[in-house]
Order: sequence, then C-alpha cells, then structure tokens
Amino acid sequence: MKKLIFIVLSVFLVNAGMAQTQVTGTVTATEDGSPIPYAVVLLKGSRGVGTNTDADGHYSLSNIPSDGVLVFSYVGYKTQEIPVAGRTVINVEMATDALALDEVIVVAYGTSTRGTFTGAASVVKADAIRDVPTLSFENAMGGKIAGMQITTLSGQAGSTSSIRVRGIGSMNASNEPLYVVDGVPVISGNVTQMGIYTSNNVMSTINPNDIESITVLKDAAASSLYGSRAANGVIVITTKQGKQGKPVISFKSSVGLTPSFATDNYETASPEDQVRLYYENFWNAGVYSYGDTYEEASESALYQLNRRFKKHGYIFTAPDNTINSLTISGERAGKYFDWEKELFRTAVYQSYDLSVSGATESSSYYTSFSYTNELGRSVINSFNRITGRINFSQKIGKFIEFTTNVNLSNSGKEGFNDSRSTGNNYFMQSRNLLWPLYWPTDYQTGEPWTSRFGSYAYNPVYYNDQWENSSKTLRLLANETVTVTILPELIFKSILSYDNANTADHLYFSPLHFSGSNVNGSITESNTNINKLVSSTTLNYNKEIASQHNVSILLGWEAERNITDYQRASGTNLPTSALHTVATAGKLDANAYYWGNTMLSMLSRAEYDYNDKYYASASFRRDGSSRLGPETRWGNFWSLAASWRIDQEAFMDNVGVISGLRLRASYGVNGTLPSANYGWRSLTSYTSKYMEEPGGGVSTAADANLSWETSYTYNIALEFGLLDDRIGGTVEFFSRDSKDLLQDVPISMVTGFSSTLKNVGEINNRGIELELYGDIMRRSDFTWTAGLTASHVKSTVTKLYGGQDIIWWDPTGDDNRARFIYREGESTLALYGPEWAGVEDETGKNVWFLNNDETPDLTVDGRPATYDYTNADHVIFGDIHPWLFGGLNTDFNWKGLGLSLNFAYKLGGNTFDFAGKDCNDDGYYWERIMSQWAYDNRWTPENTNSLYPQRVAIDMQDVNQRSSRHMHPADYLRLKSITLGYTIPSDIVSKIKLSGVRLYFNGANLWTLAAHKVYDPEVNEYGTRGWELPIGKTYTFGIEASF
Amino acid sequence: MKKITTIITVLSILLLASCEDFLEVKPSNYAAAETSITNEADAEVAINGLMRKMTSSNYYGRNFVIYGDAKGGDFALRSQGRGLDALYTFNHSATSNSYSGFWSQIYHNILQANNLLANIAKIEEAGNATDDLNEFKGQALTARALMYFDLVRMYGKPYNMDKASFGVPLILEPLDASAQPTRASVEAVYGQIMDDLTAGAPLLSTSAEDGYLNYYANLAIQARVNLFMENYTAALADAEEIINDGPYSLYSNEEWIDSWSNEFGSESILELGIYPDEADLGRGSLGFYLLRLGTVKNAMGWFMASDYWINRMSEDLTDVRWGIMDYDESSTERFGSCRKYAGVDLAGDKGSTSAVNVKLIRLSEIYLIAAESALALPTPDRVKAAGYLNQIRKRSPALAPADETTVTLDMIIDEKSKELFAEGHRYFDMLRLNRTIEFNDEFITPAVVIIHRDKTITRDFYKIILPISQAELDANPAIASQQNPGY
Repeated sequence: MKKLIFIVLSVFLVNAGMAQTQVTGTVTATEDGSPIPYAVVLLKGSRGVGTNTDADGHYSLSNIPSDGVLVFSYVGYKTQEIPVAGRTVINVEMATDALALDEVIVVAYGTSTRGTFTGAASVVKADAIRDVPTLSFENAMGGKIAGMQITTLSGQAGSTSSIRVRGIGSMNASNEPLYVVDGVPVISGNVTQMGIYTSNNVMSTINPNDIESITVLKDAAASSLYGSRAANGVIVITTKQGKQGKPVISFKSSVGLTPSFATDNYETASPEDQVRLYYENFWNAGVYSYGDTYEEASESALYQLNRRFKKHGYIFTAPDNTINSLTISGERAGKYFDWEKELFRTAVYQSYDLSVSGATESSSYYTSFSYTNELGRSVINSFNRITGRINFSQKIGKFIEFTTNVNLSNSGKEGFNDSRSTGNNYFMQSRNLLWPLYWPTDYQTGEPWTSRFGSYAYNPVYYNDQWENSSKTLRLLANETVTVTILPELIFKSILSYDNANTADHLYFSPLHFSGSNVNGSITESNTNINKLVSSTTLNYNKEIASQHNVSILLGWEAERNITDYQRASGTNLPTSALHTVATAGKLDANAYYWGNTMLSMLSRAEYDYNDKYYASASFRRDGSSRLGPETRWGNFWSLAASWRIDQEAFMDNVGVISGLRLRASYGVNGTLPSANYGWRSLTSYTSKYMEEPGGGVSTAADANLSWETSYTYNIALEFGLLDDRIGGTVEFFSRDSKDLLQDVPISMVTGFSSTLKNVGEINNRGIELELYGDIMRRSDFTWTAGLTASHVKSTVTKLYGGQDIIWWDPTGDDNRARFIYREGESTLALYGPEWAGVEDETGKNVWFLNNDETPDLTVDGRPATYDYTNADHVIFGDIHPWLFGGLNTDFNWKGLGLSLNFAYKLGGNTFDFAGKDCNDDGYYWERIMSQWAYDNRWTPENTNSLYPQRVAIDMQDVNQRSSRHMHPADYLRLKSITLGYTIPSDIVSKIKLSGVRLYFNGANLWTLAAHKVYDPEVNEYGTRGWELPIGKTYTFGIEASF
Repeated sequence: MKKITTIITVLSILLLASCEDFLEVKPSNYAAAETSITNEADAEVAINGLMRKMTSSNYYGRNFVIYGDAKGGDFALRSQGRGLDALYTFNHSATSNSYSGFWSQIYHNILQANNLLANIAKIEEAGNATDDLNEFKGQALTARALMYFDLVRMYGKPYNMDKASFGVPLILEPLDASAQPTRASVEAVYGQIMDDLTAGAPLLSTSAEDGYLNYYANLAIQARVNLFMENYTAALADAEEIINDGPYSLYSNEEWIDSWSNEFGSESILELGIYPDEADLGRGSLGFYLLRLGTVKNAMGWFMASDYWINRMSEDLTDVRWGIMDYDESSTERFGSCRKYAGVDLAGDKGSTSAVNVKLIRLSEIYLIAAESALALPTPDRVKAAGYLNQIRKRSPALAPADETTVTLDMIIDEKSKELFAEGHRYFDMLRLNRTIEFNDEFITPAVVIIHRDKTITRDFYKIILPISQAELDANPAIASQQNPGY
C-alpha cells in the first residue's frame, strides 16, 4: 500500500531545558505490520522537538526527557500519545482511523484536518483515480463523493463534463462548481468557440497524474469563503509536491483499448426488417387510411421503395401484394454495406508520464512531463496532449518561503457534431440515417456517391476527406506564492496567479463538401484567449492559549480580472483543396472583440477549538463584481459552524461499540453571479449590418438592479466509528434555499423582447448523504475494505415570478431535446408535455390522456383520452432527479496483489429519450432506419398488445411528440472501473535497481445493469439522451515504475 | 514579459485607482442603449439596423413571402416535412406552429422604429433638428406603417370583413418590460397606418433610394393600404402619382427575366438588400425554398407552383414570365420551380444563389393596383383599368390585350398572380376580395390527407388569421381574452 505523505514542518524551535536520553523505534501499521514512512513523532508540550520516520518506518529522537510523552501521528491513522517512561526504544503500531480525523484536507484558503474542520467536505486522493484512463480528472470521480453527480456530455475524447454538487440551485446562472487549483480559482468549462461542433474541456489540460488530492467543498461553512461563486460547491485541486528523502523518479505508461460501446445504443433492426418496415409503412397507409386495395397499397409501397433504392442497386417486388411475398432483387441484392465499420473503430488510448520529485530541508520540487494520445471510437475524433509541470518551493532563511507552480500544456482535439444534425452526426447516421442499402459508391459507375441520401445523411466515406476540424489549447497556469512567517503565530501569504488558455479552432470545408459547396470551400480560424489574473493575500494568526484553547484568524483580500480576447478570420472561395488556409481564400471575413469581468473581495475567518472537543468557526466575505451595476454589486457572504467530538467526552469511555463520534453543524450564505458579463446593462448591438453599412439596434431590456443569486444553506452531520473503527461513516443532512434566482422572465413580445432577466425565483435543495466505510478483513497478508456513498437530493422550485410557470428546453445541442417546466412546488427537472396513454389494441393508434374537459374519443384506464395529441393538455409527467445515487467501492489486497471495484448507481428518476423520436417513429420519418426495439414493439395485426403504434405514413406531421412515451426509468448499476494491480516484491525489483514496480489492468464501464436497455443509462445533467456519442468499454494495461 | 507587465498593471490599478473603477468593465462590441442615438450619424446606423431587421427570416427575408403564396393557393408542397409545411397545411394552434416569429420579430422591429423616433424627438427638443434627421424620421414612420399593415393582415380579419374586430396592439413608443398591451381594433390600426404614412411622406426624398424607403415607397404603401380599405379613389391617385412622377419604369419584355439577376431594377420602389454575411440565409434562404430538389446541393424543393397557377400561366406558353421558372421534381415538363430569388442561372443578383435581394414593391404592382382601383371606382374607369392592365398583360404576347369592354377584375387578379408570383401577395388579395382558395393537395407525394383545413377555404374559416401564441398569452395575461376566435 502506497502511503500518502504529508509532512508537518516543525519550524519553531524551543529550547528544552533538560537534556536527556535518545529514543529510537519503528512505526508500523496494525493492519499489515508494514512500516509507516514519514509518520510524525513529536514531543508533547515542547513544540519543535520532533522528526519524521524514514522510508523503513524508523525514527530517532535525541534529548528526550524520560518523563516526556511522544505523540505519533500520520494521515489516516489514529494519533497516539505514549509516555517515554524512561525507555530508549519505543515501537509503535498505528491503527487506521475510519473517521480519519487527523487526515489533512485542503480547504478554502488553507488546510485543515478532518477532526477540526467544521464544514462538509469530501476528499478524493490520487490513488483513487490513478488507474482510470481519463483525459480529465472529473471522469474518474463518478460515485466516489456523496452528493456529487458527474455527467459527461459526450463519449468523444476531450469532451466537457458537468458537475452538480447537491442538486440544482439556479435556473439561469451556472450550476457548475468553482474550480480552485493550488489555492486560486482557475478557468473551467468548454473553451472552444466552434459552437456545436464539439466541446473542448479545459480541465483536460491538467494531467490527472499531477493531482495529489481533490476536495469537494459542499456546505456553506466549507465554501462561503469563496463568496459569490460558492453556491454550487467548490472543487479544490492540489497538485503533487516533492517528498523529503531521495529523489524519486516515476514512470508510468498505459494503453487502453475501447472496442465497443458500454451498452447497446439504439441497435438497428436488420436490413431486411428495415425494408419490411418501409413497405409496411406505405402499405398500411393505403389499406388502413385510404381504403386502397392490397394491390393499390402494395403498388404504392413498392413504388416508394424502388424509387428510393433502385438507384442503389435494389429492386423490390411483392407478387401477392402483401409483405409476405416482399422480395429484394437487383444488382446488390443480398449485400449490404456496413456503415458502422466505416464510422467507428477500436479506440486507442496511450499515456506516458514521467515525474521527478524530491525535497530537502529547505526546498522541494515536483516536475512532470506527460504525453497522452487518444484515437476515439469515432473515426474523426481524437485527442492528444503534452503537459509539463514544475512545482518548486524554496525556503529563504527561517521565515520566508517561495513556491512556484507552473503547468504548461498543449492539447488538441478533433471531433464531430454531437447534436441532432443529419448531415454531420456520425452516431446518428449509423443508427438512424445510413441504410445498409446505401453504398458509398454508385453501383452503376463505381464513382463515389456524393448526393445527399434520401434520409438526409451524406456519404461519410467520401465527405470525411472533404472537411477537417480541430481545437487546440495551449494553457499556461503559473502561480507564485510567498509565505512569510512574521511571528511564530502570524503567517503572511500572498499568491499571484496567471492562468492563460489560448484556444485555436480550425474548421475547413472543401469546395466539394456539402457545407462548403455553396461558397466554393470555406475555412475558419478562430482564436480565443482567456486570461485570468488573481492576486490573493492572506494573513493567518494561530495561537494556542493555556494549552486548551486554539484560536485561528484569517484575514485576506483578493482581486481577480478575467479578459477574453476573441478573433476570427474566415475565408470562402478557396483556390485549391491542397491549401487549407485563410490566406489563400478569395473572400475574407473577420471578427474580433473582447469581453471580461473583474472582482474585488475581502475575506476573513475565525476558528476556535477547546480541548480538542468543541470547535467553532465563522467566516465573512465581501465581494464586488463588475457583472453587477454600481448599486448592487457589493455583497456579503458568511457562515457559522460548530462541531463536537462526542467521543472525547468522559461519558463515552464505556461505550465500547462506538469508537468515534462527532457531530457538526453549519449555516451560511453564499452566492452565484450571473453568467452574463453585462446582464445589467441595456445595450445597443451593432450586428445588424445592412448593405455593407453599419447597423444597430436595441438588443436587450435590462434590469440595472440585477443582483447575484443567494443561497442559504444549513448542514448537520454525524460522523461515527464503530467496533474499533472497523466500520465508519458520515450521515449528513443539508438544505439549501437558493433565492433571488435569475430568471428570464417572459414578457409580452409586443415590447420588442420576449424576456428580461430578473432576480425572482427560489429553489430548495435538500437531502441526505451517506458515506460508509468498512474494514471487512484485517489480516496481515489480506485486507478487504468496502465503501458506499448514497445521496438523496430533493430539488424543488419554490417560487417563480408571479407564480407563473416557465417552460424551458434542455439546452444541450440547441435541438430542443426535452421540454421541462419550472412550476412552484415541483421538481427542478420536471418533464412537461402530453401524457401518452399508449396504444389502442384494436387499431394500433397512439392514444393520449386528455387531462382537460374536452370531449374524449375514448377512455383508457378509466381516464378520458384522445387520438389527437393536440387535444391533450400538457402536464408534468415525470421527474429526472433520481431517488438515490452514489457509488460502491471495494478493495482486496493480498500480498502485492490488489483488486478494486468501483460501481456507480442511480435508483429512481427517469431519463428522456430524444433520439427515440427519430429511430422509434410512427411513419413520419419514413426514410429513416428504425431500431430493433421499435421493430419488435410496433403494432401489427399479429401483435396487437404492443408497446408502440402501427407504423403508417399518413400525415405531414410528427405525432411522435415529446411526451411521456419517451420517458424511461433511469435506474442502473454500472461497474465504472475494475482494477487488478500487482506490485512486484521489492526484493525482486531492487535487483534491477528499481524501488517499485506495479503492473495493472483497468476495465472501465465493463458491466452495466440498466432498467431500460435501449441506450446507455448514463445521461447528461438534464437526464436526456440524444445523439451524442455514448461512452465505451475500455480495457487498459499499465505499468508504473519508480527509481 | 507580458505576464509581468499585466501583473504590474493590475497591481498599480489596484493600488492607485479606486475599487469602483476596477469594477467598471464595459463591453467592447455594444453601446449603452440610452445614449446610442444622439445625432444624425447614430440615426442613420439605427435606420440601417431597422432595414436589416426587416430582412429577418421571420419576415421579408423568407417567411412572410412564403406566407402570402403558400396560403393563397399559388404554392403547393411536393413532400411532407421539408419545412414551413404548416403555412400550407394550416396546422396552427396557439401552442404549435403559431409562427410567433412574425409577431415577435415585427414588434422587435417596431421597437427599433419607436426608439429611433423617440430619440429624434429628443434631439429635436434640444433644438438640433436637421434635414437628414427628418429624412430618417420619415423612414421610421413609413417602416412602422408598413409593419403594422403586415401585422394587422396576419392577425386581424380583413378590413372589409370586420374592421371592428381585434387588430393588433398599437405601440408608438418604447415600452417598459412590464407592459401588458392589449389589441386595438382593425380600424384603429389602419387609422394609425395612414397617420404614419401621411406624416412621413413629406419628410422623404423623392429620388430613388436603393435599399431604403423613400417618398414613392411611402406612396406605394398608401396605395396598398387604400386598396385594402377599399378607398379606390385614393389608391388610384397614389398609384398614378408614382406612375407619372416617380423615377421608375416598367421592364420591357426583353428586360423582364434579366431583372431578376440584377439589384435595384427600374421597377424597384422598395427593394431590401440581402447581402452575403448579412441576412443571407444560405441553404435556408427564400431562393432555396423555391428551388427544385437537388438543383444545387441542399436544395430541398420546399414550395413549387400549384397546378392552378401553372394552368393560369399556361394560357400563354410564350409568356415571358415562364423564363424565371424551372421544371420541378415531379416532371421535367412541369415548370413549378421559381428562381426569382436564386437568379435564372442560380447566381442571384450578385453571384450568390442565396444572398438575393427581395423586391418588395415593384412598379408592376402599382400598375395593377391602378387597374383594379380604376375598375372599382364608384364610376368605373374601364379605359384606365384596361390601359394599366395591358402594360403588364403584354408580358403574355399571345394573349389579346384587354379593352374597356373585356377588362374584368379576374383578369387583373390573375395578372397579379402571374406577375407577382412568389412575392407574397396572393393570399391577402384572396382574403380581401373574399374569394375561395383552393389548394393543390394532389401534388403531394406520397399522398397524404390534410386534416387541418379543407381542400378549399374561404375567409369564414377561422384559421385565415394566425393565433396569438401561447407564449404571448402566458406572458401577457391582459391579452389572453383577446385570442382570435376558434383557437
């Protein structure tokens, strides 16, 4: 087991009056007897006398009074106090601490230990994510932290993730948490300006291997120090530092293969069945709707089939005028084209990491270099990255320390459009548009097929060579910290951070490409340069009074400036397909402007603890932001918290079962700023050029008194350890009232606008979180541990402008994939639309519940229903939020062999299937491929008790509305990750001059159990499934070696 | 180096300037709305903006033009689901296919006109009026009148059918975001339209203004409005003033086809500029909507001429106007695809298939208004009617010219359909004249049943006007009780 390292620097030297004996010994772990390196050994009561154990767990202390008491501590283990009692050798066995109360955690503006921290925070250590092949750390955290939901917007390499900490607290502003790296807020989210083509996640510019720990700050006590940006939680990332001792050179390499998607995703019916469906569609229309004879109906259906597919080499006949005699002949009969093979491949992930780290008394360093390359499942999706990092700190004299962290990374991505785009989305094409009866070549001439297919797809085999896209990000993240120990109790710290992400997007369409043919080829180069400059200065005072009272006070101020420069140059009318540069274009176009915001803050925190039993803290922050008008821009944010170590009380001494118990509670206020930089200003825009003259117009109706959104959160938690801490855990209850929520309030369009931004809405998120940990087996050569996280969050809209409902759409991909409603008292993700009543058995028709007083056509389950969806009222028909979600982790260790399994699960709630509208259609999209699911479940005279209606092409409208028909249960259990690792025994390894070698295999998403099996149950943050690329099953083999 | 400079800059800003200055960040590509029109040059920018907004796809850039022909029976659909079907099928309700884009876009444009007028009034109050400002004021008033005329015809019943019924909210100055305006009567809206037109006319230039509204455009709109109000004497007078005094001339038969390949022809009284990188809708352009499937890549063959229009045109196979028609996907013999917005050679009027100007008011229309008005006078002037009609009718060389004995309203209306095909007029004329509209539903293949209207409709059908969208009803409870009957 790799030990996590944290070194307490003992810089305060106190002269101990009496010189006595030397004490030596070894510190080992109770669980397996292995030595604990870097454990801290201190002489109680004389601060400054102490040392760390070495790599073999040995320590040596001189000048120890024979009546002294030694304090042994180490992260994750229970601290022990042992009287010297005249001994010179003291060997100590340390037991793990389920509460891990001494574990040092990185929190807002500093560090704390679990036992003293009064807020709600969860930590994920490097170990927990190191084996997962991921481009960005978020993707490895699923199910590991209670209350946090991570969703991936696409299975494409390099895509952005979305994180929700404790529900949804905003309708209009961001719901994403604040990201803080090494003490300063950083750029996060998508950095490409290429619109819907593909997202580019800036977090993937940070090498996950450089991360030491990730802390998620969840309640107000933990996060309020980040003020107006803290309401959605804060993710605090700390990168690795050098450890005292010999320099460590580590090398890690892994290769991952993704040969398939993690689950079925709208698998298509067979080519023959597709043809039958096509015939059936028109035949049904004739026979059932127009009263045609079989002959007429068959003739019409065959006419359509032949008209569409004869040009591809297929001829259709049905001598007896029914589907039973439908035969396919023609030049290509019996042969079908496998588009899936053209569009997808086995993805290959490769990663190489090299790091060198070390530390001496006065300096420490960690440097790393990495290269990662991923060829995605889609043939036009790939990602590559080079990162370099230097973390260096140097003490100057006794009182000053400089720390520099520099991360430089260059990443590049190419991908396809994940939205519902018939021309560009390859996943949609493979499941919905590219008939196996379409071929990339014309069967008569052998030439590439270049026309648009009848289903509106294009021939990707031909067009893939006619366009290209890329999004390259160069990111420099540098911060410099100076720490001055003015007095032993008073520390001054100032951080200056410069974060620059420069993204260059490139999009080219050749004159032959369907998107470039109108303009004879087009090329666009755009450059987005995001600058973030943060200056943060704090003064920290720590004092122990009369050995029982600890007081700590933090004061600070911070300034932040964000400026984004955007430039675009584009050209059309290209001279040659060989040159893909704007310079060669016949016609040029350009755009450039910048935007940004600033913030000034003052912050403070006071902490007090008494006798290691009672803890209290308070924080206050005042923020001023340029995103708000002069009257409203300053806001105050604060928190109060307390905790009580019940287990330290005398009355607990006899309660043997309970080995640890702590209660904590907090209340506080934090905020969310509007997303828009200038939302409070009424603006005139100049985008209405007319006949090459500048044109302008009023573009917004703003409220000059716009304000931030405010969250009022309380949190109560009980932490416990049972049976000598073999079972431990935390139960946490929280409630967050988010008020003054920004709402795009609909206004009469007669005013010239359809909405205006106002602070009106209110949302409540409340829930229970459970984190459980158990040591099931504790043998010296075999350990088995298990952990569980479970969260229940109820997210409710509590107030809206004038009590009026707001109908909104899932914004993903701008394709109106699901309709939601905000209504007072209802869920924040309430699906809204007509309520589908299923299919009438006799006729195979769609039926809808009326939900109003109009005259029903029929009744279903005793309720009035109609055949015409336009007669049915829209109602809330479902909720996306799961009842419970979380993860399940278990680890087995036997000698050098380790096996760990991480599951993620969701229970209750729904997903909304937007793609089903396309591939489970009732006849409207008659030239599209249907899924096997649709084929199997449609109504036919033989299958009258069917799930879905008869397929019949009768009207020019899509009756397949966004109704409850597309809602499916969201429950799933997924083996997110399984790792089998083997650490080669050190006696073997040392023969080849290595200090450690570990081999591992990791499997990601290998097994999934889902309530609805048609598509991958891991959906986006709105619970909807569209045509974004699903995730895959990845098999990774890796080796880690250190010298 | 940049880093250090920036750091030093920020530090010095922080140390030397006040906090409030640091927190004052202004946009680089927007101006404050309150102070963006303070002089003539600003007003000109605002007029440009207004003209551009009139070319939106929700308005003259596409949908309004298609509205006029798809609903009027001159267009037919070849296939389902290609786009804007509902305009043809009348599949409208407050919640789906309400085409609220007309409502929201035109009111957004009216806001621009009102904002400009309010700011010009402020400049005038400050004693800084100029001739150019007056010109812009005249343009804003005329544009506002034109927009209300379009709105009231889409949302209100025909003037000569029920002018006391609901028109549209009449807004003449910028509104507060919380305003909840209600509908004025059709009559009141027409009254305001004429007020704006007569107030704007004397302020406007009488020379041709390519791409902008001038005096004769104002007069042409007056002629249209008068025709719809059945003020035939006034309509004839307006039309004759344009014909006699205006700087415009009819295309000769030889020029007619080429006129669609050139900007700002001699007939253009108002032509909206559609330029690349401006209002160019690309594959969603009006021109593309009328092209045969596959004529150029992405041409989907949305709207083709109906059999009835083709039959009307077939009275004379030598009609010069066949020259703008191309065969459609149903047969190489059926010339149902119109290239007025793509150019005969698909190069438009400036080399692009999609960035093609919209000729909104042409002198041909004025001749036909003159002809119709002359015939409809209390004492019909049949000589004039035949004379004006013949100037257009001569584009069908094989047809005998009309004379005072043969001229009929049908001839004039048919001529208007032929001449102004795909220019957005037919439907409004049919409603105004209370004629039955028949739809060429048989053209659709595969055959489908249209369930939202009958094959023929008259103006008694409630769906001849659009519903007010549910979004407006929800946001503006005051108007909720004023929904058009039937919806």
